[in-house]
Amino acid sequence: MTGTLLRLDGVGKDYAKVESRGGRLRLVYDLLRGHGAAHVFRALDDVSFTLARGESLGIVGENGAGKSTLLKIIAGVMPPTRGTVEVNGRVGALLELGSGFHPEYSGEANIELAAALLGLTPSEIAQKRDGIIEFADLGDHLRDPIKHYSSGMVVRLGFAIATALAPDILITDEVLAVGDESFQKKCIAWMERYLASGGTLLLCSHSMYHVQKLCARAMWIRDGCVARYGGAAEVTQAYLAYHEEKSEGRRAPIPQQQAAAAGVYAIQSLDLTPHEIVAQGDALVVRGQVYSPDGRMPVVLIGLVRADGTPVYGVATDMDRVTLAGVGGGRFAFALEFPALALLPGKYFVRAHALDPEGVRLFDNVERPLTVSGVTRELGLVRLPHRWTDAGVPAAGERAGIG
Amino acid sequence: MPALPAERSVLHVAAVDAARGARLARERALFRNFYRRELSTRYLGSVSGFAWALLHPLALLAVYHFVFTTVFRTGGFGGQSFLAFVAVALWPWLAAQESLQRGATSLAGYAGLIRKVAFPHEIVVYASVAATLTVHLAGYIAVLLVLAGFGEPIHLEGLLIALPLWIIMAIAVIGVTLALSALQVFVRDVEHVLMPTLMILMYLTPILYPLALVPASVRPWVAANPFGWLVGRLRDALLDGRLALEPADAVALAGALVAFVGGRWMFRRLSPHFEDFL
Repeated sequence: MTGTLLRLDGVGKDYAKVESRGGRLRLVYDLLRGHGAAHVFRALDDVSFTLARGESLGIVGENGAGKSTLLKIIAGVMPPTRGTVEVNGRVGALLELGSGFHPEYSGEANIELAAALLGLTPSEIAQKRDGIIEFADLGDHLRDPIKHYSSGMVVRLGFAIATALAPDILITDEVLAVGDESFQKKCIAWMERYLASGGTLLLCSHSMYHVQKLCARAMWIRDGCVARYGGAAEVTQAYLAYHEEKSEGRRAPIPQQQAAAAGVYAIQSLDLTPHEIVAQGDALVVRGQVYSPDGRMPVVLIGLVRADGTPVYGVATDMDRVTLAGVGGGRFAFALEFPALALLPGKYFVRAHALDPEGVRLFDNVERPLTVSGVTRELGLVRLPHRWTDAGVPAAGERAGIG
Repeated sequence: MPALPAERSVLHVAAVDAARGARLARERALFRNFYRRELSTRYLGSVSGFAWALLHPLALLAVYHFVFTTVFRTGGFGGQSFLAFVAVALWPWLAAQESLQRGATSLAGYAGLIRKVAFPHEIVVYASVAATLTVHLAGYIAVLLVLAGFGEPIHLEGLLIALPLWIIMAIAVIGVTLALSALQVFVRDVEHVLMPTLMILMYLTPILYPLALVPASVRPWVAANPFGWLVGRLRDALLDGRLALEPADAVALAGALVAFVGGRWMFRRLSPHFEDFL
């Protein structure tokens, strides 16, 4: 059977906000009358997508963005406030830690409970029990109450149960983050087999690696809304870029209007070629534009720093007496080439600063990450030109080696 | 996906029927699981185990017997034995009281499940009430047998009426418990208000005294208590051996059904929001 397995149409979820006890009574009254809550927090808004059998979707987003809410709605744990959810198949869900275990029950009793929750018949349970026990690999702990389990053990059991069900859709929320290395491998191997045999996975993870590895498509949820939906690689890259920008905060370019209003010289754009990763010894071009509020040509300073902030090298346009080309609108373009980048492999930042035409006042600081790739055992930051000479024999006309 | 409409609708109906059957089977399996678990964790898990469920009403019965027949030397039970008179009413009351108290807070114990798995939350309350009623009904029958064995004036054939009366009580109790348990999720005061309320109600119900001893001026108020009606009917059947059905039985059944439907309506209105408040 093929076709649409899951269809969400304009799904939204509001949580009631209550501050006081009176508010709680008021809420009960409103709910009984069939009204919504008066004060709500909008956890999820207008999420629509369809998922065909065999298609897998990764869901990414920050904590509190609404990912878990979305998964709970799809799993049927709670109804959406708005919109419709249509599921044509059996859903197996691993939400947060464990798929809903009773903490007082032993592992064995929880297997039974889970089987009852999933609607398995006694013969089906008997048939699957051994497989579950083997996959979970918990040994004697199976007789202990779940509340004494570590989070990793709970996930093992939950995953073992979810896999035994052979669901049409498997929903997993941050499951892979908890298990140990070998269990993670086991899970991923299982998921890959499951996907290969036509299973559908809804994976919520902070690991972009897992999303890219297991899912063809991805959705980025931000503040309860779909920020991006598309191919897994594209969405995870956009998400990572957003994070980079966010963690750098002030190092994003200042918008021109703002710069004009403040009367400051500002870097408008900064691009590296190649983008982000450059092989050791290859050429690197730093390109960009700088804004001048008074039309005079500003000074641009380009610097290379190691990831920990150690300066490596810096050079400015006024040092080299370079004239920048005006491109209109108060903007000037700059381009700086390092023909054979001497940096040793590692992580660096390329920084661009805008200075006034006198090269005195430093206004702006925009930065881009740069990874220098390569394999070498050399130490330090840069490869200095060098050569080994014959021991003790002074070479005639010593010269600098070629870097 | 192109599909013939006619074919599709037939398939759809078949799928819906199959889904309903599967859903019912699942709900029954869940109920059985919760019910067994309620029984075993509540009574068998503790050291005194099942015995405590029997001992508690027995101890109460002994205390009441001491207070009323030895300290107060109360008469006026119409020549009936005090032990039999109170025992017949005490067990059903304790069963109802404990069902309400445990049932009202039962959802909290299943918070982990409710937050993560889709299932009808009512089953939790059903299982909790059913477990409590089972234990007390077993205790009730055991005590009646023992009392009859010791020559107390008990008409055991009265159980033919007593058991249907228990069913009526169970329906009403489930209804009220559904409402209270749903309310408890939002307003934690329910459990605190419930205990003293039930205590007061117990003394306002003719359990330890016959309705005839109540002054005529307030008697209609006491008689209006549905539980007082139930207690009276149980005494008719078990102490006097009157097995006839009365029109009031039908009214009581209807009332119990109204309580059940009302409680379930309230529960279903509130249960979609449990996840957020548990």
